[in-house]
Amino acid sequence: MSVRKLLTDVLHLDLLAGLWQTARFSMSRKATVEYPEKRLEPAPRFRGMFGFSEERCTTCRACERACPIKIIHIESHLEDVEVDGKKRRKPVLDRYDIDVKRCMFCGLCEEACPTKPKAVWLTTKTYELATYERDMALYFTKERLQSWEGVVAYEGVVPPAAGQTPEDLGGKGGKE
Amino acid sequence: MTNPWVAFVLVPMIKIVVILGTVVLATAYMSFFERRLVGFLQIRLGPNRVGWFGVLQPIADALKLFAKEDIVPSRVEKIVYLSGPVLIIVPSLVVFSVIPFGPPTTLFGLLPEPIAPFVTDINISVLFVMGVSSFGIYGIILGGWASNNKFSLMGGLRSAAQLISYEVPMGFAVVAVLLMAGSLSLVDIIEAQRQAHVWFVFPGIVAFFIYFVCGIAETNRNPFDLPEAEAELVGGFHTEYSGMKFAFYFLAEYANMILISSMATVLFFGGWLRPFPSWGWLSFLDVVPPFLWFVAKVAGFLYCYIWFRGTFPRVRFDQLMALGWKVFIPVSLANLMVIGAVIVLLGGGR
Repeated sequence: MSVRKLLTDVLHLDLLAGLWQTARFSMSRKATVEYPEKRLEPAPRFRGMFGFSEERCTTCRACERACPIKIIHIESHLEDVEVDGKKRRKPVLDRYDIDVKRCMFCGLCEEACPTKPKAVWLTTKTYELATYERDMALYFTKERLQSWEGVVAYEGVVPPAAGQTPEDLGGKGGKE
Repeated sequence: MTNPWVAFVLVPMIKIVVILGTVVLATAYMSFFERRLVGFLQIRLGPNRVGWFGVLQPIADALKLFAKEDIVPSRVEKIVYLSGPVLIIVPSLVVFSVIPFGPPTTLFGLLPEPIAPFVTDINISVLFVMGVSSFGIYGIILGGWASNNKFSLMGGLRSAAQLISYEVPMGFAVVAVLLMAGSLSLVDIIEAQRQAHVWFVFPGIVAFFIYFVCGIAETNRNPFDLPEAEAELVGGFHTEYSGMKFAFYFLAEYANMILISSMATVLFFGGWLRPFPSWGWLSFLDVVPPFLWFVAKVAGFLYCYIWFRGTFPRVRFDQLMALGWKVFIPVSLANLMVIGAVIVLLGGGR
């Protein structure tokens, strides 16, 4: 029996390794972020609260149809607008409401949106959704949906050009 | 101090109030330091919001527990259920009456004659401490049984088995010190360490380790906290207790930790003595009052308690029993025989 094995089996000196480890960790930098004072910046593709752009919306209602639990409510009417001296009938949104309290953030509305950039998107980096009332505080109208500060539209995945492989785009697959 | 009313009523009353207040405050702050330190060990911050660095946290906790609804579950054995917290808090506070916190002092000349900063020094202090602190187990067993809850009962049973198993090697470890000191009085044990020119931890290193590990098991602390193993027993014996009744169990646990640390300090680390009390060239350490030496040593042991909690995983119950009966009891008995033989050979038998 070697000396090392004797020390480990009889005196349990291996416990000291654990104590040393925790003592070192107690001196190291803490992982805690003190939330209200400091915030973590979410990742670029973080799926947060809705963003919405009335300018980009064509009132095609694709998002309303795509929503699996039907919480997007859209109403619109056609209006005669003068564009470059020509009279055109253009759809105008009356109402674009999302009942966020029931939303599961599946993102199907964003996928369905045909405009480019998307008129409705989920990557606003906003996650502070706690409210004191359930019903009205989480029922968002189009004005509320457009009021996020610094919201950036998610550009979408760039489709590969002809002849490109996933490796050229830095994605996974193929050889590492 | 010729007036007997002052000597036998007023002074002890003041001492009791001061020591009781200090111990209760120390237990409350012990819980705060534990939460802070365990947080540090786990790379968290711990509670730091209430007051400056969170120092008011224990007071906020106490207020919360006071304000809580006092729930007595239906179909509990009411008298036993209500007496459980009393049975555990009273012994754990009573034992502090014999802990010697320091030598007789005049409080830097404030008092006309020196007063001992402890309630009393009885000639069977060690027996008193071990007997009374073991009495606290009744609070755990009866509380666990009376709660009419299988988890509480299991916790109480485990606690009983654990306490019985670890009381024995702990007692043998203390007997080793008694052989060296030749007295059961805690003050005399400290004096013996001064006269022996050495703390008893150096000749009694084995006894010290057995004493401290058994002390951790006695106080139901990690890694021996089987009676309140939340993974399998919810809260163990205090599952059905809430509000102030839970606070009593909580306080008693921390008071017992401070007690074990104080006893380890007195028995093995020279109580209020400075390190190496006979080395003249270390006499500059005497500027630190003896009371602070005592507090510093106790704080070191309490730090170890929390450090162990943050490091070691909980042992299994059969491992716990095997450690107690197959390792500690034989080793402590052998240690006792060796120390006794050495004392007889050195001609120290009194």
